Amino acid sequence: MNAVLTPSLRRDLGLVVSQIRYEQRSYWRNRGRGIFTFVFPLMFLIIFATLNQGVRLHNLGGIPYDDFFVPGILAYGIIGTTYVNMAIGTAVLRDQGILKRMQGTPLPRWAYIAARIGSTVLIVAAITVVMLAVGSIFYGVHVRLSTLPGLIAILVLGTAAFTTLGIGITRFISNAEVAPVIVNLTILPLTFISAVWFPVNGIPTALADIAKAFPIRPLADGLQYAFNPHTGGAGFNGTDIRALAIWTAAGVYLMLRALRRPQGEVR
Amino acid sequence: MNSSLELAIEVRDLHKTYGTVEAVRGVSFEVARGEVFCLLGPNGAGKTSVVEILEGYRIRSDGEARVLGMDPARSERALRERVGIVLQQCGVQGDLTVAELIEMYGRYYTRRRSVDELIELVDLGEKRDTRAKQLSGGQLRRLDLALALVGDPELVFLDEPTTGFDPAARRGAWSVIRSLCDLGKTIFLTTHYMDEAQSLANRVAVMNAGQIIASGTPDELGGRDSRPAEIRFRLPSRWSLGDLPDVPGERSIAGESVAVMTREPVVATQRITTWAVEHDVELGHFSVNQPTLEDIYLELTAASAGTTETSSSDEGHVNQEVSA
Repeated sequence: MNAVLTPSLRRDLGLVVSQIRYEQRSYWRNRGRGIFTFVFPLMFLIIFATLNQGVRLHNLGGIPYDDFFVPGILAYGIIGTTYVNMAIGTAVLRDQGILKRMQGTPLPRWAYIAARIGSTVLIVAAITVVMLAVGSIFYGVHVRLSTLPGLIAILVLGTAAFTTLGIGITRFISNAEVAPVIVNLTILPLTFISAVWFPVNGIPTALADIAKAFPIRPLADGLQYAFNPHTGGAGFNGTDIRALAIWTAAGVYLMLRALRRPQGEVR
Repeated sequence: MNSSLELAIEVRDLHKTYGTVEAVRGVSFEVARGEVFCLLGPNGAGKTSVVEILEGYRIRSDGEARVLGMDPARSERALRERVGIVLQQCGVQGDLTVAELIEMYGRYYTRRRSVDELIELVDLGEKRDTRAKQLSGGQLRRLDLALALVGDPELVFLDEPTTGFDPAARRGAWSVIRSLCDLGKTIFLTTHYMDEAQSLANRVAVMNAGQIIASGTPDELGGRDSRPAEIRFRLPSRWSLGDLPDVPGERSIAGESVAVMTREPVVATQRITTWAVEHDVELGHFSVNQPTLEDIYLELTAASAGTTETSSSDEGHVNQEVSA
């Protein structure tokens, strides 16, 4: 282990940790970002969960609506924190010249990206804790110890996939002004066919197949699976885990492509 | 000659092409260690391309470039440790305070200057705990300067460092830059302000249409030191040009305002003032001037623009295409 952790690598890892702290400080001071990340999903959680309290979903074996909806809206919250924030945030950093400034310093590029990803993971952890706390305190949703491993696996893979995809998509975002348009265009339609807001048992097979081909459905479904009272075992849903793993690989590839220097230029 | 020891920057036959546009067309120059070198030129002349190649942001199309003995295109960390950069219009994390930003950027360097020292140097003491997004344009530029100096660099690139400063802040920045020279730092400066180049630079080079069209010390650029001086004064209307004594050079008058262009300004001044004292004439607004750097600069760039075809290519536009 010590052979791998050379002094210079150890110093760089220290830089990543300290940079995560600055990214966090920066993040929590900006109210607008906090509203998009926390207030929106929480607002939807409270509105829908309250409206449907006591409702049972007969198509899903009679489970309470909130056991379905809370993990679904958590998926929405995680996507907002990872994909949306990364894509729009990177476009803004690029437009403002901050990426260029960072590039002129000795901070290695990988260390800066690692710090931004690390900071995102912390925000995902925070929003997961807040939403599950609200869900269990007010809407009777239970985090079960038995299905916790499956829940964690989906959370980790979902965060990895959507964070890397968020950086990857910036290649197709020419400036910060179009970023919210492109990001929402790639997310919102999919959330409706991906059973984030309500069950979609009756939808045409073609739409269901489209939903399954993209990563939102596996994330929402994997979380809903872990919260379904009928789920036994450790809560692992092989299909969803496999889909998210493939999307993580695609995300890493797209991220590396997006970070690669355009021909002849260092960026 | 051991170039890596004596030269901070060495550029030979540098070319930069964007698509079919040749933004830099064979530029060569050297900057010695400890020197303040100033690159002048109109917008679109190729200055920014040259600077960004040296800073490692762009890759040259052809030619050679060495910065502190290293190839800037390889963007080595060792080079970035030793170079400070003030970019034009470059943002900063707006939700962090001045002190936090200096501390944060300082961590990236193995050798660094203290936060307090830098805040004092750029005179941002009162804004120490203010978030960057609440700073004025001039204060942001001073923060830029602090961030460029945080790694105690040997070589500092300053791309129009005082744009948007009020006159007092500009003088302040100049004294900071001079103090850097006193410490033996090398400064590579681009500016639109001729007084800035005059006041700071040991050597200037003028670029136009991708080429260096003149270089030298600010005082001798374009033969400035051998140009005729201009003596100007107001001659009360009861006197005419013919009443003045013979002086070397050419005389002209417009209204009461007399101009004498002469290569012997001392002799001419002495004759004119002696005559004035003898005849008890008050010569208002009396002045003797060499052509300013700005006069020479405008002359050089205007002459060069007339002889080149591609000078109208807008560099800003080209850059946008590249970064899109």
